Amino acid sequence: MKLLRADRLAELAAALAARGYRVIAPIRQGRIVRLAEWRPGAAIETAGISANSVKDFLFPRSEIIDRYSLNGGDFVQKEVTPEAIKTVALAVRPCDAGSVSVLDTVFNWDSNDAFYNARREACTVVSLACVRADEHCFCTSVGGSPGSSEGADAVLRAAGGGEQLIFEPLTPKGRALAEAAGGALAEGEAAADPVAEIPLRFDIKAVRDWLAGNFESPLWQEFASACLGCGACAYACPSCHCFDMQDESNRKESVRYRNWDSCGLALFTLHTSGHNPRSTQTARWRQRVMHKLSYIPQRFNLTACMGCGRCSRLCPNGLAISETCEKIARLCKANHEGGTP
Amino acid sequence: MSIVDAIRADAAGLLQTGRAKLVLGYRNRQGRRAPILLADAAGADQLVYDAECRQNLAAYLRKPEVRQQFPVAVVAGPPVMRSLVMLSAESQIPAGAVTVLAVGENEYHGALDLAATAQLLREKYADPAPDEELLRRVREVAAMSEEERAAFWTEQFSKCTRCHACRSACPGCYCQWCISKRNVPQWISTADLSHGTFAWNITRAFHHAGRCTLCGACEAACPQGLPLMLLNACVAECVEKEFGHRTGYDLEEKPLIGSWRPEDDDGFVR
Repeated sequence: MKLLRADRLAELAAALAARGYRVIAPIRQGRIVRLAEWRPGAAIETAGISANSVKDFLFPRSEIIDRYSLNGGDFVQKEVTPEAIKTVALAVRPCDAGSVSVLDTVFNWDSNDAFYNARREACTVVSLACVRADEHCFCTSVGGSPGSSEGADAVLRAAGGGEQLIFEPLTPKGRALAEAAGGALAEGEAAADPVAEIPLRFDIKAVRDWLAGNFESPLWQEFASACLGCGACAYACPSCHCFDMQDESNRKESVRYRNWDSCGLALFTLHTSGHNPRSTQTARWRQRVMHKLSYIPQRFNLTACMGCGRCSRLCPNGLAISETCEKIARLCKANHEGGTP
Repeated sequence: MSIVDAIRADAAGLLQTGRAKLVLGYRNRQGRRAPILLADAAGADQLVYDAECRQNLAAYLRKPEVRQQFPVAVVAGPPVMRSLVMLSAESQIPAGAVTVLAVGENEYHGALDLAATAQLLREKYADPAPDEELLRRVREVAAMSEEERAAFWTEQFSKCTRCHACRSACPGCYCQWCISKRNVPQWISTADLSHGTFAWNITRAFHHAGRCTLCGACEAACPQGLPLMLLNACVAECVEKEFGHRTGYDLEEKPLIGSWRPEDDDGFVR
């Protein structure tokens, strides 16, 4: 098997960068650890979970998807090709790798998104199994696991009490990466350390069943009461994928941007007439939960919440999908035990 | 009685007597403090208060779901009290709609109306201890050349994802149609490229000139770690220097950016 010393991840990054990969890895920037482009000398921090996710590099916050020139009254479309750099997302979390499957599905459901697909094709995902978790992690409650290889091209697993990392290639892209790594990976034998224990927080099946029948429940008001309606949760979420398109023009050129958007923001569903079908924050928070745990599961047989806990770690107002699900699951259990449907 | 017990007792009393239909307070969630909107007196024992309570609960007063429940009570330390006075001065709180559960430094002042809150602030909390570290950074920014300063803020704003957590966290951001939400025409680009992020962050800071109570909720809410308090403090220093204005101490005060006096300096007009 292929091994490297855990404190030499930066050497692996350097070897891959030398072979033409743009290396994305968790790097400290001030008080925050972010997935960012690795530069020589940067330390790779693997202790916690990065504030942002792999999504940022497959479906960026803003991208130009069209350009038009407006010379002399003529409206000429200029070709825009997606900027897809050969990339490796190194030492991302299994929940991040898992989210790529959700993105693959939604960006190829009714049409094939050329911009997403070009980036996805150029990206190799190397996850790092979690030996630690914090109180916000709940991947095991939504079908994931801290050692999952779902969505990954290769997995790194801690071994020898954290001294070493086992590099496990899983796909042709992962094997190509192992080859590119050359001497940064050594042959050897080691036993993987146990992965983190993440207790089951709720019964996802019970939650889904409740969601399917309780769109109008008065409980939504309680669940959403502390929400002040920003997009922080959606923008940190590895699987949230809603966007808005904006044309920015001057007299000579028009540029079409695709920018992230969020169902938490009031403008998201505002009609031209002034009517807003999701007129309250209660309705908007319900949409967030429903989309992840009811609509996408019904349509694609996937769960669109990976249990990474990013939203609950950063929500200034303490909202968390996990807490809403726990409340629903407790309610279902109480109803079941009380004999009412 | 401890401060927390006193808050719980007053919250329960206000809810039981109907003097408040909702209490906006803080609760523990996984070792951190989070807002709680309490409608039932039986839940009052969930309320907590300590120095970690950094959300400015006055921000909830713009939420229609909360306004429908007026009168409400708000657990408030001095910066939140100043925000409530500012909101009242800007006609955002109907008379009698808000009772303040006023928590001072190591002291609970009881359930007060807004006039008593403003008086308390003037008498006991008129001179908040300056944040020396923040002031040092303000001086650092002030000492930069214009080009250096532009480069510094451009670099800081480049991390902004335009999630608007800063706006949501701020009680002063009660505009129903914030300029950054206006899209016919699109005043501020929603792209995360420099023209949009710079315009948004500077517009936000300007609009809070003389209105910001320096509570710190925006910076605490920012997932990207932008130094928003540094920006706010730079603006606050100009406001203090140019206009001798402070906000949040007087229910009759005129908002700085919404008022004009004949003696105002117009030397900047060229």
